[in-house]
Amino acid sequence: MSTGDGAPAPPDRPHPSLLAIAGVFGYISATSFGGGQTAAIRREVVRKRKWLSESEFLELLSIAQILPGANPPSVAVMIGSRLRGAPGAIAGLGASVIPGFVILMAIALVALNVHAPALTGALRGCAAVAVGLTCANAIEMTMPRLRSVIEVTIVVVVALFVLVLHASLWLTLAIFLPIALVATRKAAA
Amino acid sequence: MNLARLALVFAVLSLLGFGGGSAIIPQMHADVVDHYHWITSAEFARFFALGKLAPGPTTTMAALVGYAVAGALGALVAFAAVFIPGGIVVFVAAHFWERLRGNPWRERFARALAPVVLGLIWAGVATLARGAADAPLTIGLAIVAGALLLRTNWNQSLLVLAAGIIGAFTLR
Repeated sequence: MSTGDGAPAPPDRPHPSLLAIAGVFGYISATSFGGGQTAAIRREVVRKRKWLSESEFLELLSIAQILPGANPPSVAVMIGSRLRGAPGAIAGLGASVIPGFVILMAIALVALNVHAPALTGALRGCAAVAVGLTCANAIEMTMPRLRSVIEVTIVVVVALFVLVLHASLWLTLAIFLPIALVATRKAAA
Repeated sequence: MNLARLALVFAVLSLLGFGGGSAIIPQMHADVVDHYHWITSAEFARFFALGKLAPGPTTTMAALVGYAVAGALGALVAFAAVFIPGGIVVFVAAHFWERLRGNPWRERFARALAPVVLGLIWAGVATLARGAADAPLTIGLAIVAGALLLRTNWNQSLLVLAAGIIGAFTLR
């Protein structure tokens, strides 16, 4: 705040430099082979660097889910914005998509045979790690909420609803958000 | 002219693509293959495979469609159009959300949304696992990676790299 740059971050919040924000998101974008980019972001930003609390991250991810677009850049925009205002959001957006873009164009232009066995095998290995990463992430995010029977019930029912019925995001939200609004209000009272 | 249409198609995708990449890709196919005939379905499948292969969001494959339509400039235009409009919407929404701080409805909404989104995340884990943890070795890799990431502060990128090398030799 002393720099007078108008960033909205309160003084008790970590205030990483734009370079640090771009560095973290850029490094994740460049290395998230096989998927799991959002999970990698949570691991770096919440677990390692503690730029955000667990509940803040879940809140931002929730908003990203109901807004259009791929989740990783959306989450990066919101985290960057929270840490450093508009410049942070731009740094987050750019860094979360440009390295992936450069690597994609590079491998497309060298006319890589995507179906080469070694490459397919490497990607399968990376994707398996992405499953482990995403699952570890889901476990860590769910742990603090296990105390609430109502919340755990909602988590399980929503997961089964989506898996069994292949329900769309909008149908799932339309059905379960009102239920959750009522159920969690009772829990709070 | 082509560039403007390219920008428009991907900007609309960026703004109406609710539900993340898995919802955007089928709509992208409908637009660029079925409606505009910019590329064939086989090309789309190849671009999708490349998009999965490269790190970062699969939606980045829009750049390959742009390249096929209008070369390097087309790639840049499609890439910018598929991420920037959505990014601006997210930024404005985040700003609005920040300004609601202290409003009891904001707290209630966030509290209700959290378990629903966690349910969606778990469904995502199961879907991902069905496709990617499908053989003894990939199941093993997923479990070992998950356990290591829970127990240690090891870098996830190193695990991805290691699994890529293991996979290149054994998962053919």
